[in-house]
Amino acid sequence: MPPSGSSSVAAVWAILRKECRSEWRTRYGINAALLFAVATLTAVSFAVGRLPDRTDLLAALLWVVLLFAALASLAHTFVREVEGHTLTFLRLVASPAAIGIGKLLFNLLFLAVLELVTVPLYLVLMGGPPPRWGPFLLVLGLGSLALATTTTLVGAVVSQARGRGALFAAVSLPLLMVVLAAGVSGLRAQWEGNPAGPEARVLLAYVATVLGASLLLYDHLWED
Amino acid sequence: MSAVSATAMATVEVAAQGLEHFYSGRRGLSAVSFTLSAPGVAAVTGPNGSGKSTLLRLLAGLLRPTGGRSTLTVDGRVVAPAGRGALLGFVSPELAFYDELSSLENLTFAAEARGAREPEGLARAALERVDLGERSRDRVAALSSGMKQRLRLAFALLHRPPLLLLDEPGSHLDDEGRRLVERIVGEQSRSGLVVIATNDEREWKLAAERIELRGRGLGHIA
Amino acid sequence: MALRLLLFLWIAAALLAGFLWAPLASGLGETTRVLYFHIPSAWVMAVAFTWSCAHSVLYLARRKLEHDDQAAAAAELGILFCVAAAISGALWAKAKWGEYWNWDPRETTIFFLFLIYGAYLALRGAIEGEEKRARLAAVYSVIAFVTVPFLTFVVPRLYSSLHPSPIVPQRGEQDSIDPRIAVCFVAMLLGFTALFFWVTSLRVRLARLERRRERAAAAAGGTA
Repeated sequence: MPPSGSSSVAAVWAILRKECRSEWRTRYGINAALLFAVATLTAVSFAVGRLPDRTDLLAALLWVVLLFAALASLAHTFVREVEGHTLTFLRLVASPAAIGIGKLLFNLLFLAVLELVTVPLYLVLMGGPPPRWGPFLLVLGLGSLALATTTTLVGAVVSQARGRGALFAAVSLPLLMVVLAAGVSGLRAQWEGNPAGPEARVLLAYVATVLGASLLLYDHLWED
Repeated sequence: MSAVSATAMATVEVAAQGLEHFYSGRRGLSAVSFTLSAPGVAAVTGPNGSGKSTLLRLLAGLLRPTGGRSTLTVDGRVVAPAGRGALLGFVSPELAFYDELSSLENLTFAAEARGAREPEGLARAALERVDLGERSRDRVAALSSGMKQRLRLAFALLHRPPLLLLDEPGSHLDDEGRRLVERIVGEQSRSGLVVIATNDEREWKLAAERIELRGRGLGHIA
Repeated sequence: MALRLLLFLWIAAALLAGFLWAPLASGLGETTRVLYFHIPSAWVMAVAFTWSCAHSVLYLARRKLEHDDQAAAAAELGILFCVAAAISGALWAKAKWGEYWNWDPRETTIFFLFLIYGAYLALRGAIEGEEKRARLAAVYSVIAFVTVPFLTFVVPRLYSSLHPSPIVPQRGEQDSIDPRIAVCFVAMLLGFTALFFWVTSLRVRLARLERRRERAAAAAGGTA
């Protein structure tokens, strides 16, 4: 029976809820990620001090902090399935695309929680000028979406390799350079009073491309 | 056991044509061909490493064959490998559940993901059937290996599938548990199809047909 | 054998002609000769990575390990030509702009390509089982390849370009480049391309032989 639209939605929703429940029960993923993000933030803020008038550096360092926090944590949803040998169970109840999208939504939620703590803290500690919230959140949101789509697919691949911890960061990073560049340039533009539209469009096109390719590639992720 | 199968007398046919599997140049399963149809029970036997588990994973659509093909036909419709999980119950020693969730939560999740209308009710019924009702709120991590095996059976029965693929269904089970397996196989064989991979005489005796896998020979129905 | 000799003579002749026969382009001086290496290397790099991605897609569609051999061999050679293009470009940049590396968009792009395909090879090394390695590497290769074009849009927004934008210099100002330069240049381009396909075919044959030997050893071990 080919999975119908409604049953796929049910599967995605069930997977998202399952992920949240597992995360809530164990909490090691989010706790470690938050600690890591705050530690990176502290290191950055100690190293460079307050930067009230350097919006170029503010934009760059915020994305570096977010990128590192994401690379430290976003593979763990797949790593947990591999280490717990639960992929067979999961594959018997949901299609690869439903698994991929469910995990993607969870990663996005995870990133949102992470940013909810990190971003305000960053703005306070670094003493930057208040952002223009509309463009700021647009660039941040699209950048996070781009981070999550890429790391979900790469996480699914790397979780099946040896030495996955270090490998995940090394293998994801080159793909995320575009996101980093567009994110930094977009945040800088909004701080300097320029339109962030071009960056938002690049990020949106990037998300659409990676998501489209992912939907075709999810079917090839698990075959043994 | 009065659980009426929702798939009363579905027509199920499982077939393999030259189905084989290699992994990194090593033979996991030598080419086999057979056709099985419901109602009935078939046993897959053979020495260790002959590919019993591989064959079941291939039939379940979890593993991609290197050569040949397997087909699952339910009520005249051919089911693609990726969609087979919805129509079969699969038990295997490698099947693991989420440790941090309870048995009930695990099975409720499975039923939800498959789009069942009353996921928790289905999960409860399945757990009752394998006598895990009382322990249904315990986390899976706290279950003994025998209870985990019962949970695997409950998972296989959860959606009342027309086909059961059981890889060593009796492992870790006490006598009570083994009788449970016999009852499950007996009931399923009236309405659907069961394939059991085993070298345990008590288990393959339940089967009317036997597929023997020999080291590197050809499988055939004895 | 004859073809191999012909290829050797061809490249040697083009090289000698570049130094002895073709004149120097005005405005470039002695650095003209770098072009005979630099542009063909960059071109072959692009061909190699495209070839690698095409065979990754073919592998996912057809599951013939031969395609994986092609993809891996092309990626390895692509990295080699990527390094050659980067070094020759850096030498040229030193001579013309005074610095070896300026994070010019083209330099940035070539650097990220190096990182991406380096990651691809690292990933291959970390996956056990040749079917699994082939499948997961192909998934990564496809997703990496689709993100590359975005670099072209994003990087110029961060760094301004020094690179001469017409690839062959001074096309606009002087009506045409000297035909002798063009002949040498095209000859090198063809020679490098042929070199790439020849070495790729060697790597693929080697992989095939190694696999056959392993299979034979496994079969012999099985019966003993």
